[in-house]
Amino acid sequence: MPDAMISIRNLSKWYGAFQVLTDCSTQIAKGEVVVVCGPSGSGKSTLIKCVNGLEAFQKGEVVVDGISVGGPKTDLPKLRSRVGMVFQHFELFPHMSVIRNLTLAQEKVLHRSPKDANEKGMKLLERVGLAAHSGKFPAQLSGGQQQRVAIARALSMDPIAMLFDEPTSALDPEMINEVLDVMVALAKDGMTMMVVTHEMGFARKVAHRVIFMDQGQIVEDCSKDEFFGKPRSERAQLFLSKILQH
Amino acid sequence: MGGFDWEVIRTSLPYLFKVGMVFTLTLTVLAMAGGIVFGTLLAMMRVSGLRSLGLLAGTYVNLMRSIPLVLVIFWFFFLVPYIGAWILREPRPIPVGTFYSALITFTMFEAAYYCEIMRAGIQSIPRGQVWSGFALGLGYWQTMGHIVLPQAFRNMLPVLLTQTIILFQDTSLVYVISATDFLGAASKIANRDYRLVEMYSFVAVVYFILSFGLSLLVRRLQVRIAVVR
Ligand SMILES: Nc1ncnc2c1ncn2[C@@H]1O[C@H](COP(=O)(O)OP(=O)(O)OP(=O)(O)O)[C@@H](O)[C@H]1O
Ligand SMILES: [Mg+2]
Repeated sequence: MPDAMISIRNLSKWYGAFQVLTDCSTQIAKGEVVVVCGPSGSGKSTLIKCVNGLEAFQKGEVVVDGISVGGPKTDLPKLRSRVGMVFQHFELFPHMSVIRNLTLAQEKVLHRSPKDANEKGMKLLERVGLAAHSGKFPAQLSGGQQQRVAIARALSMDPIAMLFDEPTSALDPEMINEVLDVMVALAKDGMTMMVVTHEMGFARKVAHRVIFMDQGQIVEDCSKDEFFGKPRSERAQLFLSKILQH
Repeated sequence: MGGFDWEVIRTSLPYLFKVGMVFTLTLTVLAMAGGIVFGTLLAMMRVSGLRSLGLLAGTYVNLMRSIPLVLVIFWFFFLVPYIGAWILREPRPIPVGTFYSALITFTMFEAAYYCEIMRAGIQSIPRGQVWSGFALGLGYWQTMGHIVLPQAFRNMLPVLLTQTIILFQDTSLVYVISATDFLGAASKIANRDYRLVEMYSFVAVVYFILSFGLSLLVRRLQVRIAVVR
């Protein structure tokens, strides 16, 4: 695939003697939405953190938009500033107002003027329906609202791709949809997305492909229709049947 | 001995406060500021994950915490002139004066304690905060400066202030190098007028009021911070 935005080749990673990732390979094209799922501890978070270099790896290669993440000369902060990331626990900066959360990196990393950063920030808060909360502190918002702010914060850097690590799994059930709606809209806008989630409704709606991981390996990597039609591996079938029960 | 002489306290008030207390408070505030800055740097070295840096800072902290403060004060007082001469390549020891000697001593000494407080503060910040800073493209120093340290400092503010109250009391040890701090000033008058009971009682009361008052303030601050979080 020549126009791969994210390309992971034969990636292996160890924590000491424990191998977390074993020979993982996959590609994500520009504009593609890929859902990553699998049982707890299977290495999903680790894999996604390797994509923007938050985790180092020992073997293989990760290339984002033509730049090798593990390369010795790679400007990691610069690369990361172009890849948005959303975490399970939001990770907003609790000592800053909502709008400051959105402007800090714009000013410090992209060197935008405070005025430009503010305008951009407000526009994005509007987009996620939270403009009225710009002056509040994160702790004053609900979980769903915090996660929408976190998405807006990532978008404020004009990323070329977005990584999500279980963005809804720390949320109360009634707040999951408000976050998923924002993500669906993003996917429909053509954003390249790699999403670790167990929300199969989201996968059905917007994913192009589904990756299933188990014990540090990519066990399935197929189109959404193939995956939901009939996963080839037994483990994926078992996993799906458990997940879809509720 | 005679009765308790209030008059000697009253007449020496200007000297005690304008000279003694000013020395004590200036020393306390500057040593606190310097100690927190230096201590934070030490703490960053200790949590950096770089072995050599961690070992260096750890050795320094453990050394400072294992030597009696009085010794350190003495030691610096006699050594700093020689170190200064060595740095500036002067042939003779450079007179530093009791105040600067004490300031350097307390900054270095307290840094060891502030370091451990800031280290606990830094370690109390979830890893995800660092990740999200990095993920936005912020560098190490930016992430530390804008995200980790402000939160660590804020969480640890009550403990840092409590340590400063201890520092405030410890500054009285400068009497061993004959500095005129609050206690030193009182002791000079006590010896001049043979009014030891009056002067040392008065000094004790003043130290108590200031330290206890400050610790009450710290407790209120603690409650406020706890609510905001
Ligand atoms: N810093 C670490 N040191 C050692 N082992 C780790 C570390 N981080 C993760 N692991 C281990 O690596 C494995 C994969 O972890 P990872 O967080 O990637 O899994 P996951 O698929 O995201 O799971 P979950 O669904 O629980 O989030 C787990 O067995 C975990 O215990
Ligand atoms: Mg995970």
